[in-house]
Amino acid sequence: MEQILNRPELQSAVAPFVIALLAYLGLRKISTLAWLWAVCAAFLVSVLLINGVTVTPLTGTRKIILLVLISFVAAALLPRLLPRANLQRAVAAGAAVLALLWVFWTVLARMEAGAIALFVAGSIGLALWLLFHFDRLARSDARLHAAGFSLLLGVGLSATAAASALLGQLALALSAASAGAFLAWVLFAKKDATEASQAPITTLPYVLAPLLLGLAAVIFARLPWYALLALAAIPLAVSLLPLKPDSRFLSALLSSLPGLVIAIAVGFWVWQTGSPDSGY
Amino acid sequence: MKKYLIIAALATLPVNALQAADYTIDPGHTYVSFAINHLGFSTMRGKFDRQSGSMHYDPAGKKASVMIEIDAASIDTGHDKRDAHLQSPDFLNAVEYPTITFKSSAVTWSGDKLATVSGNLTILGVSQSVTLEVSAINCGQHPFNKKQICGFDATASIKRSDFGVNYGLPAIGEVLDLQIELEATKNE
Repeated sequence: MEQILNRPELQSAVAPFVIALLAYLGLRKISTLAWLWAVCAAFLVSVLLINGVTVTPLTGTRKIILLVLISFVAAALLPRLLPRANLQRAVAAGAAVLALLWVFWTVLARMEAGAIALFVAGSIGLALWLLFHFDRLARSDARLHAAGFSLLLGVGLSATAAASALLGQLALALSAASAGAFLAWVLFAKKDATEASQAPITTLPYVLAPLLLGLAAVIFARLPWYALLALAAIPLAVSLLPLKPDSRFLSALLSSLPGLVIAIAVGFWVWQTGSPDSGY
Repeated sequence: MKKYLIIAALATLPVNALQAADYTIDPGHTYVSFAINHLGFSTMRGKFDRQSGSMHYDPAGKKASVMIEIDAASIDTGHDKRDAHLQSPDFLNAVEYPTITFKSSAVTWSGDKLATVSGNLTILGVSQSVTLEVSAINCGQHPFNKKQICGFDATASIKRSDFGVNYGLPAIGEVLDLQIELEATKNE
């Protein structure tokens, strides 16, 4: 049993996908934000399988895990506490900046001033880009989830190819969980839920998780920064193909295809450029 | 004349009956290496290319201490891709935890020879008590630069999971055999 639980494909693909799918089915009649709770629960199980319950030492990766879990809870609870959309946007932006500082401060403190300025400008720019585009995508559930799971897939594949299996596994687990909840939404959501608009703050996990995991793969491992730039096109690309209002399945498929193509292409590219020889 | 020749010859040999002195580790003659089981097939070896530190050695007073700082990013297993992986958060997390340190806290002696050095080894910010078994220690004047040198060979076994380095367990070995061959130059 332990051998099975130690298998990366179970930890980062099968388990989060199935748990999110089943959790969504169980929660969809209780909460309109069932997908958030479903993905959060599935990610938590993956984290326990990958990392265990160890919190110390509080490494950057463990900080990211905590922040992603908190972002799910915040995204589910804050729409009621902060009903004004602009206030939610401000909170999401502030949370992203604070998260970046908390995770990367120990490394930033050792950098030269020029490198710090470059990192701060680049990371905050990327955060604002993702916040802006996911905010726009919140008007369409199909596009929002397609962008979320494709972006996380791209970060996961690229981080794995850039020599950090841990960061890669975490991103892939989130991607699989998002895909599981997305599939459940496609198959079982109420008919009138097709184009339900999400509150801006609900997109926070889809912004924070790829942002932090992607930057961690750049800073702590060997992911080229320009791979993140290429992946940042995914939230734009999911809107390339028109939606089919009469078919959730087709809308989901058309939204997912461009993002998946970019995610796989960037992952393959990083693997090719970063691997001059075969495995070891 | 014969007496002076014997004294001169003895002066060039490593001796242990020395005065207490502080030494600085010579990175060019210090090797920190390790061996670990690879997937049950064979033993994989690696080393760190950059280290620094100091030691105090007082065989007459039966006192000694060692402090070694190892640059985690200097890990070298002769394979660039594997070295990049070993530096990543999966293993040493060298960007966040750039230094591996060993600070001694106690020593034991076998006669006038240093036998063990116990202290705290810190990897990934986690400190664990480790005992180095000293297999040889020699001090004396360097034959070429005439500086006072001390050198020792030591080994220890650690469990990497004790330091939170859990990736790849149990397939990639849990027990890491450490080997330290160190030379240090007496401070002027």
